[in-house]
Amino acid sequence: MRRSLAAVLTVLRKELTDALRDRRTLATVLVSSVLLGPLALLGVSGLVASLESRAELREVYVAGLANAPTLQNFLERQTYTVKTPPADYEAQLRKSSFIDPVVVVPEDFETALARGDSPVVEIVSDSANQRSEAATARIERLLGAFGRERAVLNLALRGVAVQVLEPMRVDERDLANQQTRATRITGMVPYFVMMAVLYGALTAALDTTAGERERGSLEPLLMNPAERWALVVGKWGAVASVSMLIAVLSSFSFLPGQWVLRSDTLAALFQYGLREALLFLVVLLPFAAALSAVLMAVAIRCKTFKEAQASSTVVILVTSLLPLVNVFNLGGESPWHLWVPALAQSTLMTRVLKGEDFNLPQVLIPLVVCLALTVVGVWFVARMLRQAALK
Amino acid sequence: MIEVSGVARSFVAAAPGKRGLGALLGFGGKRGAARVIHAVRDVSFSAPGGHITGLLGPNGAGKTTTLRMLAGLITPEAGRMSVDGIDVVARPREVLARMGVLSDSRGLYPRLTARENIVYYGALQGMERDAADARAQDLARMFDMTALLDRRTEGFSQGERMKTALARALVHDPANIVLDEPTNGLDVLATRALRESLRWLRTPAGGAKCIVFSTHIMQEVERLCDSVVVVADGRTVASGSVAELLERTGQSDFEEAFVQLAFAPAPVDTGTIKAAPA
Repeated sequence: MRRSLAAVLTVLRKELTDALRDRRTLATVLVSSVLLGPLALLGVSGLVASLESRAELREVYVAGLANAPTLQNFLERQTYTVKTPPADYEAQLRKSSFIDPVVVVPEDFETALARGDSPVVEIVSDSANQRSEAATARIERLLGAFGRERAVLNLALRGVAVQVLEPMRVDERDLANQQTRATRITGMVPYFVMMAVLYGALTAALDTTAGERERGSLEPLLMNPAERWALVVGKWGAVASVSMLIAVLSSFSFLPGQWVLRSDTLAALFQYGLREALLFLVVLLPFAAALSAVLMAVAIRCKTFKEAQASSTVVILVTSLLPLVNVFNLGGESPWHLWVPALAQSTLMTRVLKGEDFNLPQVLIPLVVCLALTVVGVWFVARMLRQAALK
Repeated sequence: MIEVSGVARSFVAAAPGKRGLGALLGFGGKRGAARVIHAVRDVSFSAPGGHITGLLGPNGAGKTTTLRMLAGLITPEAGRMSVDGIDVVARPREVLARMGVLSDSRGLYPRLTARENIVYYGALQGMERDAADARAQDLARMFDMTALLDRRTEGFSQGERMKTALARALVHDPANIVLDEPTNGLDVLATRALRESLRWLRTPAGGAKCIVFSTHIMQEVERLCDSVVVVADGRTVASGSVAELLERTGQSDFEEAFVQLAFAPAPVDTGTIKAAPA
């Protein structure tokens, strides 16, 4: 037993050295997986910040302003700056070189308004551009307010109560707290972290199994008097360590990511501190262990690294698609989600981002599932090892 | 001391029409007739210490399968194998601790240095790191590869690879050395160097090792082996020293003798072979 343990450590040490010397792969994983999440978050924050600043600018573009002094008066009373759009605004909107929606006022606006003829005011925008859409909603509200003001004034002149116009009042009461709302934007964070863990394990898992077969180093390895399970556990330990290292780096990469968030609103909503990072690790470390074993089990059946890459695509697909059950929110959060690897992890990490705590089953069920997957994976690799060495 | 008597092993070739998902789940496709390949039918030899025994046979004769059985990678269906009196099937790990095997596939880890490759196997053999490291140094001197020792094995030539793999197999200073076609892919100089090393390992100063090596090259056997075991079609068809085999076949050229022994038209009567001096 003591010798087997020594063999486990020997293999672990060698495989770790080997994996960490594969600088190019490590660099690729670090850049693509660990940096991608914070960068994407930064991108979203840039978008939100630009929407916010646009809203703060309180600008509105009106074509044919001279036709509507009443509207101009209203807009200026709402502290909006009224601007004239470029002459070819339609073409520019299509090209997205000009993104603000344009209010088009008809020539007979004032006379029609005075006659009570409901003149038609157009809001021209390109809905293919998301930023333009947000601005359109704002301007619709603004014009709606203008319409209501006119109506109220007209009714007041005739001695009618304002309530006639508003037989019912609508009040919104949003039960989501700040963090919950933020998950609509930060919901992609668990996905990025899980992909980082997956890609962290991938190369090492393939290299220690299919790679070893391809190099022809598996057969001589088995001609050492070490127990086969000890060899496999050592290999798995190294793969899981690399994957866990990536998990740690990836979880903590969102801490500095938060400091550079360009939108104050988003920074306030995305509360990702040390507590969240540590809870992420509670979820991710067992997942990294299980994923390593599963990838190794898939790869040991393949003769070459390339073949193993093709086979592992299935694992990658499943890992990236299962969390989508949450995104599509089919029937909300169900108890069975906790029993499905990848889905459970994504569910739990979403909870962390919402600022909710775990209860015991939420921690234990995924842990047990991951543990079982690890044991089955390692057992399968150990069983296949001799057969794999010979072919 | 390596003793092999009457080992046999057959393989079932995958039946056509049952592959992939169907084979995995146990359904699908029509099953073709499974083909049984008798890789080894009846191989016997005895290799004493301080002695180089050559396993000579044409391609596909069953040499590699026999050596793999000896290393415990394949379980024989019949026969007995023992190394220093220890049964290979019953106690494979003890056998591997007494045996250095240079197998048919001799892949190295390209991102590790030659030294790290050797020390890794030493550690797996249960050696202390320092002892393994010192041993790597000694072996490097013996195989004239000291300059290579701290280079990564990526980009090594065939000869350099073979030396590293051989040093790796011998790191634990085993009393028994098994080499599967060690001269494959080596140039003249590397082959000569290997021959010199093996001759030295045979001497009492080199440890009087029991060396078994398989080959299909006559010259190797003639120049190096104390005794030859001719294997053909999974059977031991003759054994003895080169001189004895020449005498028995009445040939002066060893190649002619080998062809006569290995490709005899009529099935060889095993009785006469067993009676031949071992």
